[in-house]
Amino acid sequence: MNKINPSQLADKNPALRAHNLRMRKISRRKFLERTGAGVAVAATVVNPVEAGSPASGGSHADLGAQASSTANPGSVPRTKIRLTINGRAQTVEVEDRWTLVELLRDHLNLPGTKIGCDRGECGACTVLLDGKPVYSCSNLAVWADGRTVETVEGLAANGKLHPLQQAFVDHDAPQCGFCTSGQLMAAVALVRANNRPNADEVRRAMTGNICRCSSYNHYVDAVLAAGSNGAASRRAVTVRTEPWAGAPFAPLTTVGHATPRIDAVQRVSGSATYTGDVRLPGMLYAKVLRSPHPHAQIKSIDVSKARALAGVKAILTHENAHVIWGAGAVAGGAQYNDDIKKITKQRRYAFNNPVRFVGEPVAAVAAVDRHIAEEALQLIVVEYEALPFVLDHEDALQATAPKIWPDGNISLNQRNEALPLSQRRGNVDAGLKSSFRVLEDRFTTAFVHNAQMEPRAAVAAWDGDKLTVYTPTGGIANCHTDIARDLELAPEKVRVVCEYMGGNFGNKNQNQDADLIAALLAREARAPVKLELSRKEDFIGMHGRWPTTQYYKVGVSQDGVLQAVQLRGYSGMGPYRKNSGAIGGIELYQCPNTETVVYPVYTNKTVSGNFRGPEFPQGYFGIQSMMDSVADALKMDPVEFVLKNMTRKSRDEVAYTNYTLEDCVRRGADAFEWTKRWRPPASDAGPIKRGIGTAFLAFRSGLGRSSAVIRLDAKGRYAVHVGVTDVGAGAKTTMGLIAAEALGVPLSRIDVVWGDTDRCPYSVGESGSRTTIMTGWAVIEAARDLKRQIAEKGLPAGAQVLVANASPNPSSDGKVRNTFAAHFVEVEVDTELGRARVMRYLAVHDCGRLINPLTAAGQIQGAAIMGIGMALHEDLVYDRRSGRPLTPGYYGARVCTHLDAPDIEVIFLETDDGLGPYGAKSIGESGKLPAVAAVANAIFNATGHRMKDLPITKDKLIMAGQRT
Amino acid sequence: MKSFTNANPRDAQQAVTLLRQTRADGRKASPAGGGSDLLGMMKERLVTPDVVVSLKSIKGLDQVAAESGGVRIGGLITLDALQRHDRIRRQYAVLAQAAESVATPQIRNVGTLAGNVCQRPWCWYFRQGFPCFKNGGNTCFSAAGENQFHAIFGGGPSFIVHPSDTAVALVALDATFSVAGSNGERAVRASDFFALPLANPAVENVLGADDLLVSFHLPTPQSGIKSAYHKVLDREAWTHAVVSAAVVLEMDKDICRSARIVLGGVAPVPWRVPHAEALLVNQRITPELAARAGEAAIENARPLAKNAYKVPLTKNVVKRTILEVAAI
Repeated sequence: MNKINPSQLADKNPALRAHNLRMRKISRRKFLERTGAGVAVAATVVNPVEAGSPASGGSHADLGAQASSTANPGSVPRTKIRLTINGRAQTVEVEDRWTLVELLRDHLNLPGTKIGCDRGECGACTVLLDGKPVYSCSNLAVWADGRTVETVEGLAANGKLHPLQQAFVDHDAPQCGFCTSGQLMAAVALVRANNRPNADEVRRAMTGNICRCSSYNHYVDAVLAAGSNGAASRRAVTVRTEPWAGAPFAPLTTVGHATPRIDAVQRVSGSATYTGDVRLPGMLYAKVLRSPHPHAQIKSIDVSKARALAGVKAILTHENAHVIWGAGAVAGGAQYNDDIKKITKQRRYAFNNPVRFVGEPVAAVAAVDRHIAEEALQLIVVEYEALPFVLDHEDALQATAPKIWPDGNISLNQRNEALPLSQRRGNVDAGLKSSFRVLEDRFTTAFVHNAQMEPRAAVAAWDGDKLTVYTPTGGIANCHTDIARDLELAPEKVRVVCEYMGGNFGNKNQNQDADLIAALLAREARAPVKLELSRKEDFIGMHGRWPTTQYYKVGVSQDGVLQAVQLRGYSGMGPYRKNSGAIGGIELYQCPNTETVVYPVYTNKTVSGNFRGPEFPQGYFGIQSMMDSVADALKMDPVEFVLKNMTRKSRDEVAYTNYTLEDCVRRGADAFEWTKRWRPPASDAGPIKRGIGTAFLAFRSGLGRSSAVIRLDAKGRYAVHVGVTDVGAGAKTTMGLIAAEALGVPLSRIDVVWGDTDRCPYSVGESGSRTTIMTGWAVIEAARDLKRQIAEKGLPAGAQVLVANASPNPSSDGKVRNTFAAHFVEVEVDTELGRARVMRYLAVHDCGRLINPLTAAGQIQGAAIMGIGMALHEDLVYDRRSGRPLTPGYYGARVCTHLDAPDIEVIFLETDDGLGPYGAKSIGESGKLPAVAAVANAIFNATGHRMKDLPITKDKLIMAGQRT
Repeated sequence: MKSFTNANPRDAQQAVTLLRQTRADGRKASPAGGGSDLLGMMKERLVTPDVVVSLKSIKGLDQVAAESGGVRIGGLITLDALQRHDRIRRQYAVLAQAAESVATPQIRNVGTLAGNVCQRPWCWYFRQGFPCFKNGGNTCFSAAGENQFHAIFGGGPSFIVHPSDTAVALVALDATFSVAGSNGERAVRASDFFALPLANPAVENVLGADDLLVSFHLPTPQSGIKSAYHKVLDREAWTHAVVSAAVVLEMDKDICRSARIVLGGVAPVPWRVPHAEALLVNQRITPELAARAGEAAIENARPLAKNAYKVPLTKNVVKRTILEVAAI
C-alpha cells in the first residue's frame, strides 16, 4: 500500500480537474451574487419517472421475488414505489434498505430534512406522512409507497412563507436552524388539528423534537402566535430591559432594535446549506471504523477484503496516513502552533496506535455509496492487543494505575512538565487557622456532550493541489490554518467553507479529524469525499465537557466574611488533552487567601474539551454549592452571603471596566421577591417540596483583534466581508446591524459575506463569546475607513469600487472587562418520585448594549435550559469492566426536550463601560454558567439535601430522602 | 444497514408463511409493525434480517371492534390511534394512558400496539451490542455492571426490564392475546404471554420464531371499573419507564371490590403484585391503605448494586396510583 505523503500533490486527472474547476466557478459566482448564499449543489435524481405515471406494480416482494434476490447475492434488492411528495406524484426506484430521509436527501434533492441522530431520538428528520409527523430516519422509503409525504420544502406557497415559517422568523425560533425543519413539521401538524393550542399542547406536540440550542421558549412563542391567527398571544414569560443606575445609552438607528436574522428565511425554508447538504459530482461517501477497546495496541489491520469490495475507492489506517491532528490535543491543551509542535512529546494523529479510547478512529473507507462504505468496514480485520485501562480521573493518579502515556497520567503542560494548574494568593493556611468556621466538601461533575444537532461532517475536494473543505466550523480562519498545518499545505492551497452550521458550543474554532480524514481519502481516491459522523460517533469520538472532582476547604468569619478558599481539583481529559482542564469559580469571591490546584488527568474515556464556558458551569456548581452550604451553616440568607462576598475587583486586585454585579443580584432578588419567598431549607412538610436558589456570574467580555473588509460598489451595495459563520448566535445579522449603523445606511443595503476563507478576512472565530465585540469593532473601524475614503474620493461610479479594511486590536487599559449576571430559580421536588422540576427561572444579565435584543434573549434562555439539563439529566455512563460508553445519544444522555424546558424570564441591564462596539458585552456562553449551581441550590433549599454529584438524577434524590 | 428485501404480505397468515419459509431457506426474517425500533436495531446490526416482513400492507388489523364479552383491538393499530380512541379512553383508561406515555408523537404515529408489546429491551448493554443473552451470548453484563435501570423483581440470569408500557396495562386489564402461527391462531392470556428469563434468557415472551402477535381481546369492564397508568420517566418525555404502575380497581362507591396492580420497569416481564392487590379487596381506599399496598408491592424486591432507589420509588408509585384511581 502506498504511503500518503502529506506534501504529495493531488491528482492530475484532467477530467476531474475540469469538473472541480467548474464547481469552483459556480460556487464562487453564487457567493459573489448572493452574498455567501450558495454552495453549488448537484442534484441527481435516481430514476426520475414522470409525475403521475403509474408505478409498474412494484416488486412488493413475494416469495418468488425473494428467491431471485437470493440467487444473486451481490444484488441489492430494489423496489419501484410511487409516492406524492409536496403535492407532486412521482415514481422512483429505491433500494429496500433506504430510509425515507435517505431517499429525500440523497436521491430527491430535498436536503431541508435533516439527520440529527438517525435513530428516532431527536426529531430533526420529521416529515409528514399522510399528514402525520413521523421520523423519516425510522421509516423505510419502501414503506412510503402509495402515501403522501410533506417536507419543509413544500410549506411555502406562491413565494409566501407558511404562517408558521413567518412566525418562526418573527420570533427568532431557529438559532442554528438544524432542528428547525423538524420543529416546523411537528408544529404544522399540530395547528392543522388545533388552531389555538395552549403552551402545554405545543410542548406535548413538539416534544419529539430536540433543540440543543434550547430555543424552546421561542419555538413555543412562535407556534402560539401563528396558531391564534397572528394575534400574538402574550405569555407570562417576559424578556425586558430595565434601566440601571448609570447613564442610559442614546438610542441608535439600527443597532438595538429587535431584527429578524438576515438569513432567517433560509433557516425556516430548508434552503440553508449545511455541510451534509453539500453534494459534488462524483462524490464518494466515507465511513470510519472505530476502536471497541479503551486501550489497545493494534497488532495488524487487514484491509484486503474491504479493498476488494466493488465500489471501494480508498482506505486509510495508521499505516498509510501518518498525519498529526494538531487541534486534537497537545500537552498543555493549548491551541496548536508550530512552536508547541516542536516541543510537545505527546502527539495525536488522525489515526493512532495504540488506540486510547472507545471510539478512536482505526480506519476510514471511501466508497461510491454510503452503504458500500459501511459494508467495507465490516470486512476490515483488526487484531488488537488489549492493554490495561483506567476510566476515573482520580483512579488514574494511583501508583498502580495503567499509564496511558509513558510520562504518566498527569497531562503535561506546554513545557512537558507534569504539573497541576495552580494559583495562589495570600496564605490559605493562615486564613483557615484564623477562621470562625472551616467547612470542607467534595463535589463531582459528569461528562456532558456538546450534542449540537448537526453531527460533525466534512466534504473535501481537491482541485489540482488546492484543497477545499466544507465543514461545520465556527472559526473558518483557524480551521484553515489547522488544515494547512496538519496536511503541510501552503495556506493559499486550502479553502474552508462553512455556510451554515448546526450548533457549536465549543471546540469548533479549529479543524476536526473528520476534515483531515475526508481530505486524505479524497486525495487517495481522486474524487470528492463526504464524511458524515453518526450521532454515536459524534458522542464518543469527539468531545464533551471535562468531568471533575472538586475538594473545597473554606474558612469564614463569624459574620460571614470569607477568610480562605482552597480547591484541589481533578479533571478527566480523556487520553488527549484538548483544552485546559481548569476549574473556574474561585475568582467569583473576594477573599485574601485563595489556592487552586487542579490536575488535568489522562483517562481512557472520550476526550474532553471546551463546551460553552469551558471550565465554569462545573466549577460554578462546585463552589457556589459550597458557598451556599457555608451560608446555611451560618444561618445566613444566601443572597446576603453573596452580596457580602462576591467579587468587586478582578481577583481582588484589578478594577473592572464597569462593575454591575451588585445591580444584577439586587435587581434579580427584588424581581424574584427573594426576601419574601426565601424560607429555611426543607420548609415544606409533605413529600412535594418547593425551594429557591441563586447563583451568579462574572465572565470575560474582553477586547481583541479581528478583521473586516467592506466593499462599496456603484450600485450602493455594501459588501461586509467577515470571517464568521453564525453558529446559531446570530453573528451574521449582528455584523450586518453594526455595519448599517456605522455606515449610516439601512440594513437592506448591506450584504454580509461570510463563511469562506477565499472571501473573508481573519476572524477570531465564534468561541469565547468574542465575535460581537472583536469582529464588531473591526466592522466599525472598516466602516470609518470607508466613510473617510468616500469623503476623499466620492462615491464609486461605473466599475469602480471602494474597499476598506480594518484589523483593530483595542484594549481596556489594564482593567478587566466582564459581563455580570445573577440567576434565581424555584424548583419543585417530588421527593417520593425523585422528580425535580424548575417552576420559575429568572436571569438578570448585564450584556452591555444589546445589538439585537431578539437574538440576545434566546442566547440566555437556551443556555439556562442547557444548564438545567446538565444539572438534572446529562451524563455519559461507562461500563467499568469494558470501558465502553453506554449512553451515547440523545436518548441515553437525556438531553432536555420541550417538556423539560421551562420559560426563562430575562431582565437585561444595558450598562455602558464605553469600550464595546456600541456598548456590547459578551453573551453567548454566559447564561449557562450559573444555571447548574442555581438549580442545585434551589434543590437544597427545597429538600435540605446538598446534592454533590451531577447529574442530580432521581436515584440520588430518592436515596437522599431515604437516608434521613 | 445490511441489504435486505422488504416483503409486503397481504394478511397475517401470509406473513407467518413468509417468516417460516425465509427461515427454512436458511435466511433471517424480521417482522416490522411501525418499524422504528427494528430499524434502529438493524442500523446497529443487532439484527441483520435478509427479509423484512412489513405488516403495513395488512389491512383491517388496525381497528377497535366490539365483540362478545368485550372488544378486540387489532395489533397494527398505532399507539396514537389507540390513545385517541373514545371507547378505549372511557373504558380502558389505563391502556390509553400507557399508549400516550410511549416515546414521542412521531413514534406513536407509526408504532403499533403489537410492536410495542413485543419491543426488545432497552438495556444499554443489549443496545450497545455487548454479547449478552439478548445478543446471542451467555451472560448478563448488568448483573455486576451498570444496573441502575435494571430489574428488582424476577431477574436472573438476565436482569433486563420489559420496556413496554402497554404490556403493563394489558396485563392489568387481563387481556387475551391472539397469536398467529403456522397452525393458525391461538389465544394466550396476557399474563402467560411474557416469559421470565429463567427458561430462555434470549427472549421476553412465548412467541415462536414464526409467530405473530395479531390482536388483543379486552374483557368488558365490570361496572365501577376505574384505572390509571402512572409512568415515572428519567426526563419529562421520551424515556422508557424507570418504574410504572398500571392499577385497575373495581370500585363500589369508595369500597374496592377487586384490584389488579401491575408494574413496569422493575422486572423482565410486566410484574403483578398480588399481595398488594389482596390488601385492597373489600376495603375503603385511604392514604394509609394505599401506603400499605405500596409496602406490600415491594416485599420481594431484590435490588442490584445500583438500583436500590427503585424499591422506595416502586412503593411510592403504587401508593400514588391507587390514590389517583380512587380519586382520594
